[in-house]
Amino acid sequence: MKNFDWITPATSAEAVQSAAQAGRAFMGGGTDLLPLMKSGLREPTGVVSVARIPGMDRIELTVGGFSIGAGVTLATLCTHADVQRSLPAVADAARLAATPLVRNRATVGGNLCQRPRCWYFRHADYNCSKKGGEVCYAIEGENKFHAIFDNTTCNIVHPSNLAPAFWVHDGVIHVLGAKGERSIKLEDFWVRPEEDIRTEIALEAGELITAVSCRPLGSKSGSAFEEVNEKQSYDWGLVACAVRLSLDGDKAADARIVIGAVAPVPLRREAAEAVLNGKVPNEATAWAAADAAIAGATPLRDNAYKVTMLRACVKNAILAAAARARKS
Amino acid sequence: MQQDSSPPGQVSRRGFLKGAGAAVAATGVLGAANLPTTPRNTEPATLKADEVVPLRFELNGKQVETKVRTGYTLLETLRDHLDTTGPKLACDYGACGACTVLLDGKAVNSCLVLAVECTGRKVESVEGLAQDGKLHPIQAAFIAEDAMQCGFCTPGMLMSCKGLLDRNPHPSRAETADALAGNICRCGTYFSIFKAVDRVAKAPKEGK
Repeated sequence: MKNFDWITPATSAEAVQSAAQAGRAFMGGGTDLLPLMKSGLREPTGVVSVARIPGMDRIELTVGGFSIGAGVTLATLCTHADVQRSLPAVADAARLAATPLVRNRATVGGNLCQRPRCWYFRHADYNCSKKGGEVCYAIEGENKFHAIFDNTTCNIVHPSNLAPAFWVHDGVIHVLGAKGERSIKLEDFWVRPEEDIRTEIALEAGELITAVSCRPLGSKSGSAFEEVNEKQSYDWGLVACAVRLSLDGDKAADARIVIGAVAPVPLRREAAEAVLNGKVPNEATAWAAADAAIAGATPLRDNAYKVTMLRACVKNAILAAAARARKS
Repeated sequence: MQQDSSPPGQVSRRGFLKGAGAAVAATGVLGAANLPTTPRNTEPATLKADEVVPLRFELNGKQVETKVRTGYTLLETLRDHLDTTGPKLACDYGACGACTVLLDGKAVNSCLVLAVECTGRKVESVEGLAQDGKLHPIQAAFIAEDAMQCGFCTPGMLMSCKGLLDRNPHPSRAETADALAGNICRCGTYFSIFKAVDRVAKAPKEGK
């Protein structure tokens, strides 16, 4: 790893000032940035440490909702009693991410900003289209773990577990930049390869995520996050799904279904929500909603299995969220 | 800047009470985060890329001092500068756990920690487990359960086990398996390691 200026600001405002210089990168837990630097995929001249800025690691329930500081670690998030109670999908998603060692360092902000795991992107010798080259090597190459939706330009899948979970809880990302603060809804945070293949997220250069706020569960509501992995320990999800729903009597209402790890950005499945709303959530209706969630999949040579797996994952997440809603 | 005295990562009592009054079902307006608003006039502390900087931290109960560059990982610093070769360099990407140490009591991949982050902090490696010539209970249990073969993963495994037992002295099998999910053993000694943790968890309490 090349050496760099190491900057330790005391406030997020200072951090943003420091990052205004070209060539600088923010670092939270470093669990994605340092591997990118070791691989030569990023060579910042300065690294601005934001993990230990006072206040960045707070979780607060305020009038508007739950505010989770960008510096909160995944370990804190998944063991936090209020998060488990009020944002269960978020707690699930944090618990299932990475390993306990990584979760002790990895942060909420970093989880949303992490780069894709595509092995062509991660390999410095492949100048793929995401890195400014001409070709997406996954189209013809080894594509077992790649996208099954929206995969004509770039075949990455978005790796964030927290993104679908925050989305079903109406997440809003709070950002500080040289021009001041702004808030971005989860659904507006993503950049598709067709819009700009070099990035996945709508942050401008030098902008820092300071917190994510979410809507806690109301009464008779539940949420859940499920993923399927090739092995149980330390693996990125092959498919993932977050669901939140309320019960009106015994019927589902206000369902929110977001799938992850299957497309270059997380996807909300409104057709599946429509199938579920107004019906009693059970095996039959959950499978029907899952069928709607996988409609339009365009798997590649080696990843058709992900379509079948996603269908089961959506069904399981719906039933898990419904079970929690009944208990609430 | 800290707005009240709630510990990091906790719901603040004041914020919680504020929220409890208004209906938490409020959906539209999500308040701005706890943004610090008072930029200081001084430049933030900076270590330069071309500098060799002094580094001081607590390693296995003793203050140590060395010199590093900003690009050094904690793992490189321990192994190459502080003669602490228990933590092993294997994947260098946080995937295998051979480099596991405790940083302020939490198990982390030392290959994914920068040395310069450790100033003033507390680092524990396998070298610090035995005290006064007496093995730590988890080390004795590894021997009793024959929980190692080639031994390359063992220093990291032991530190993940210690991190677990320090915060949860009586873990279930599932909790043990979860706590060790970041440590890979190519010899496949996992089952014996689980038994070693069980052995410590069930032993009559006799200090740490």
